[in-house]
Amino acid sequence: MEILNAKNLSFTYPDEDTPALSNVTFSVSEGEFVAVCGATGSGKSTLLSLLKREVAPMGKMTGEIFYRSTPTSSMSPRDLAFRIGYVTQRPEQQIVTDKVWHELSFALENMGLPSDEIRRRVAEVACFFGIEDLFDRRTDELSGGQKQLLNLAAVVATYPDILLLDEPTAQLDPIAASDFITMLKKLNSELSMTIIIADHRLEEIIPASDSLLVLGSGHIIAFGKTRAIASSLRSNPHMLTCMPAAVRIYSELANDDDEDKIECPLTVREGRDYILRCFRQDIKMRKMPEYTHKKSEALSFRNVYLRYSRDSEDVLRALSLTVYESELFCIVGGNGSGKTTALLAASGLRKFYAGNIKIFGRDIRSYKNGSLYSGCLVMLPQDVDTLFLCSTVEKELRDAGTDADSLPFKFPKAILDRHPYNISGGEKQLLGLAKLLATHPRLLLLDEPTKGLDAWYKTKIGNVLRSLTASGITVVIVTHDIEFAAAYADRCALFFRGSVVSSDTPQRFFAENSFYTTSAARMVRGIYDGAITADDVIALCRANGQRNENKQSALTGVT
Amino acid sequence: MIVIKNSRLRRVLRIVIPFVIAPLFVIAGTYLFEPKRQAFVALAIAILACVLFIAGFEHKKTGSRRLIITSIFVALSVIGRFIPFFKPTTALTIIAGVYLGGEAGFLTGAFSALISNFYFGQGPWTPFQMLAWGMIGFFAGVFSKFFIKSRFALIIYGVIAGCVFSVIMDVWTVLWYSGTFSKELFLAAVVAALPHTALYSVSNVIFLFLIARPMGEKLTRIKTKYGV
Amino acid sequence: MKGNETFERNNPASVFVYYICVVAPVMFTMNPVIITLSLVGSVFSSFIGQERIGVRFHIYMLILFAIMTAANPIFYHNGETVLFVMNDNPITLEATIYGTVSAAAVISVLYRSRSFTLYMTSDRLLYLFSILSSKAALILTMALRYAPLYARHARRVADAQRAAGLYKERNMIDDIVGGGRVFSATATWALEYGIVTAASMEARGYGVGRRTRYSPYAFKHADIVLTATSLLLLAVIITAGAGGSFDFTFYPRIVAPPATVLTSAAYTAYGILSFLPAILTVIEVVRWKYLMQKI
Repeated sequence: MEILNAKNLSFTYPDEDTPALSNVTFSVSEGEFVAVCGATGSGKSTLLSLLKREVAPMGKMTGEIFYRSTPTSSMSPRDLAFRIGYVTQRPEQQIVTDKVWHELSFALENMGLPSDEIRRRVAEVACFFGIEDLFDRRTDELSGGQKQLLNLAAVVATYPDILLLDEPTAQLDPIAASDFITMLKKLNSELSMTIIIADHRLEEIIPASDSLLVLGSGHIIAFGKTRAIASSLRSNPHMLTCMPAAVRIYSELANDDDEDKIECPLTVREGRDYILRCFRQDIKMRKMPEYTHKKSEALSFRNVYLRYSRDSEDVLRALSLTVYESELFCIVGGNGSGKTTALLAASGLRKFYAGNIKIFGRDIRSYKNGSLYSGCLVMLPQDVDTLFLCSTVEKELRDAGTDADSLPFKFPKAILDRHPYNISGGEKQLLGLAKLLATHPRLLLLDEPTKGLDAWYKTKIGNVLRSLTASGITVVIVTHDIEFAAAYADRCALFFRGSVVSSDTPQRFFAENSFYTTSAARMVRGIYDGAITADDVIALCRANGQRNENKQSALTGVT
Repeated sequence: MIVIKNSRLRRVLRIVIPFVIAPLFVIAGTYLFEPKRQAFVALAIAILACVLFIAGFEHKKTGSRRLIITSIFVALSVIGRFIPFFKPTTALTIIAGVYLGGEAGFLTGAFSALISNFYFGQGPWTPFQMLAWGMIGFFAGVFSKFFIKSRFALIIYGVIAGCVFSVIMDVWTVLWYSGTFSKELFLAAVVAALPHTALYSVSNVIFLFLIARPMGEKLTRIKTKYGV
Repeated sequence: MKGNETFERNNPASVFVYYICVVAPVMFTMNPVIITLSLVGSVFSSFIGQERIGVRFHIYMLILFAIMTAANPIFYHNGETVLFVMNDNPITLEATIYGTVSAAAVISVLYRSRSFTLYMTSDRLLYLFSILSSKAALILTMALRYAPLYARHARRVADAQRAAGLYKERNMIDDIVGGGRVFSATATWALEYGIVTAASMEARGYGVGRRTRYSPYAFKHADIVLTATSLLLLAVIITAGAGGSFDFTFYPRIVAPPATVLTSAAYTAYGILSFLPAILTVIEVVRWKYLMQKI
């Protein structure tokens, strides 16, 4: 049964000529899991916020939205507010109250329910989400993942039929994001809640979804069953960038007659099946030029120990690590493994109590009076907003003593007049980088530069960083994004409990790991060696060629 | 809970009680009441004034955005009180009053006193601090037209606010300690508090000078962007 | 239910009434008996009720007590009995005693305030304010939530600006300007993302109709008892006080009111009121011990 449908929906923001959405028509049936994808600025957020009238932006809207065939414009605010739930990114700011129990009951209080009913629903939801032990906690003590689960729970407490989620996992680490998506699947399969989600973490969402809505500059490019849409994207290479590795590999390799015979794989397992069935394994490895680092050291840790207070545990334990000049070095590892702390120690913001850190061969403690930060080292924080305080992007650049023309990379000039909080996450990262590069650093430390970015901006940031290392700047990145590390790093290190457990070039590093590795590497594990990105796999498959004798069996399709 | 049906009466009472009757009571109390009871009377009035003001807030239509901006100001001025020596609390209260109206100014002042006292210690002085800061914010709202036009007037108001706050708290200290108002003790308290008073006024001036305009710009942007 | 916090299971409103009742007489009278009962009761309760009051607080109170006792005779020279002369000013016995009683009154209120502060967690405060105005309570709860958030963000901004080389730190003016930058960046961040909170509130149906209030505090039997006891005892004290039967005169000479049935009743009533937390704690501990025996 149809639960939500939009007819000829168009929307234009005030002071803008081109519409953000034009003629969007689609319908969602009850219990459907819909993934919305598209590049930054394709109108995903606008579409989701229009579907939730309370958060709809100001501007000119035409067309109509129907909820169970009633136009939403004729529904009472009360019905509308509690039938359709809405969660966005920024877990921290969506929380209204200071205690978990109060947050869970907030929406129910707004509904005007009696105390007994609220008590029952709060208990029910807390059990379903498994957050009973957080019940009395202060909301600001929760981790990002717990906060976002709380936001979801608080919305679900009103028993909505539809959940709209606008990049809910953008600010979460992979484990927390995975938990969140698992919870969405549970809500969908156990309570048949209709879910419409726009997110960049498509590797997990696409396999879970029933249908896929692809948006491009305000238009619907494609809408239909996930697998059908995924395989049809072959004709649209631009949209492929954001798809899961299996879809990308299939789309590059399948030819037109395969399209009807072999279903598009969505998960790692299906992708592996597809490669095993369809491709030969004669050539195990691609010949790659061996990476050699320079002799001179840019940053080195020797047996560094750090703890935040006397009674707490060591965050860094005997950390030893060397980064050579003009390297792009990625530090990966789980939450609380000390990655960010290592960066803070290297930038002189946290004091270590034993060992030593050298910056370009000089002890970090011998840099006095901020001389460390002028022409030597800078750090891009995880929350890049902390760098901004002016009213326009142009003033921001001037504040740092630079302008759009004198930067080592191409700065998007269209955003110069915008407020730094009104630009996209990717543009914010570029602005942050621009401010940092004004001091002409030789060593650039970045904390999670790809957090919440879409695939296109990741590529852009990656290319900017590569061009910086080519010009002799050393770049050290702390990231959860192993796909990014695999694609761009010269060398990678894995942090575990405050020290480095392994470090190597990405080819060897990710090919050796079984769990902590890219989905492409997991897909071809034991089939090909040293293939860690979708591009590597595609190249190897092409080199090997299709397996003719087995093609018949592949025709029966992949399950 | 406290509901006065006639809205005009309510409005009149809400202005008259805290700003006319309460100070009159305190002054008259010094001469009319028996010693020791004045402190109690003053305290009762301070609590009453705060309660009336806050209860009155309930009956106004206030959008969630305005509520949030007010609570942002409260939170900012609470953390401002933890900055050693130069504290932007009063300056923020004044800015809230000027740009968001007297009511928001009162709530910013009163609530930042209340919340920060969870760290600095609650006590019978809390209602006085709430009232003193609240009034500073309220009057900033009353004269907001002046202050938006002239930065000089705003800074002068900051100096006065610093002194008035100190004096109100000194009056309370004396009343509480000796039960009655005594000129000698009051002078002693004023002299003892002089460095504080000076610091208050100076930091008000510094912060109003530094942040009044940028904060105003930020608020205006937010107000137009989100239609508050 | 270990009973380490006296009013743990009471409704905050009834506890608030108790605190008003126990502090009011001290603010109202200068009767040394009442004030002594108050001081001893509050200090004693602070030991038996909550173990959270630190040693430093006790030491600080002791010093404050000494200073305030001394202050009165130095500024006030009324009274007949001159103890000695300092800088041509007589120091009188009456003024000294008045000072001591004043100081005791202030200190006892400080002790009560301290235990009240410890009791009044944000949940309980919000409950009280939501009786008054739910909007005000909402502002308060959001401010309570934002304050630690902003403090943390300000620290992050300071770090970020420093490590970006945007923050000079050569002299004091640099520090003030740097502090201004941190504040400005924090305020911008707070205001910009405050709108996310507003959207989230509206998305969850804030303002669509009459709100109800959910609270984990019910007004139970024990609360009726506590409120009634407090008010009853206060009524006894007010009856006695209104008749002027414990007006104590200090100047020019100390004159105690005559001991009557009414004054004795008032003293007893205040004694119970002052030691109520201690009494309740003892009852609780005894009951706990008894229940434990049955296991």
